[in-house]
Amino acid sequence: MIPEKLDEVKKIPAEITELVKESVINTFASISGEEPAFVPTNGDSGKLNGIIGNIAVFNQKHTLSLMLVLPKDTAVGISENFIGMELPFESDDMGDLIGEISNILAGDVAANIEKVGFRGQSSLPTATRGSDLTLFMPSKPPTEKMKFQGGKGEFWLNMALSESN
Amino acid sequence: MGKIKALVVDDSKIMRSAVKRALDQLMLAEFDYVEAMDGEDALEKFNSEGDIEIMFVDWNMPKMTGVEFSRAVRDQGGNDHIPIIMVTAEKSMGKVDKALNEGGANEYITKPFTADKMAKTIGRYIDEDGQMVTDSADEEEGESKSFFKSILNS
Repeated sequence: MIPEKLDEVKKIPAEITELVKESVINTFASISGEEPAFVPTNGDSGKLNGIIGNIAVFNQKHTLSLMLVLPKDTAVGISENFIGMELPFESDDMGDLIGEISNILAGDVAANIEKVGFRGQSSLPTATRGSDLTLFMPSKPPTEKMKFQGGKGEFWLNMALSESN
Repeated sequence: MGKIKALVVDDSKIMRSAVKRALDQLMLAEFDYVEAMDGEDALEKFNSEGDIEIMFVDWNMPKMTGVEFSRAVRDQGGNDHIPIIMVTAEKSMGKVDKALNEGGANEYITKPFTADKMAKTIGRYIDEDGQMVTDSADEEEGESKSFFKSILNS
């Protein structure tokens, strides 16, 4: 169970991070046919040339914000997995696709974390594309960064757990 | 033989294309597609087109969700024979139950879907001549909903 107040919580509970990790692996395996591997590191993506899918799973008490961080080459490769052809990275369709993948991931996360009592719903996704991007995570709420290596390249899943306002 | 008029509702153009591509690949029938980008748009097109025969509806959309759209369609009455297939990323059993029972949807497919999954889901609604059938599907639909209910209640 997640404490109602997060003031004293330094880390996202391991039961949540493990279930989110499982959802990332499931989601990308169902898209590409092969499971991405979790890469134990400090998880930082560094300066990013790529695209970020943003979505949240929330209920009245808590919000789990998810940032799916994809370098350009990974995003283009995944587009081929998803729609059968490579999308131009600069196209509007790329933003649409990464938003949709974020939505699929959030659906899996929402179903998965119900197992530990977090019953929530997904927000609508957004996507941000750019170069030389620095990703800042909130300083107070507990956060987690996870790196994965898939067949189309590396990617990250950053998350923050906060109280819903 | 005429084409089946299908309403494809999703705020993602990519997903609308994916649904259409899967349906075309199956070659169960020829489809004439009407697309909508949210529930409100879909309701307007459902009413203005008048002869929609099957609907593929996302859940999580702006303005009006897929479940709200589905409920609004069913509340109009006289259209229970038109299959509503929820195609959505929402996969908890509570959401499945809500879509089928509150929303009045007939079927539920989770994203990402395969053409095979799509075929198994909609095959019962299309006959060998590529035309819509509804009578036999009604019974199977009842079985399908009962199946989900049994899981939810177990």
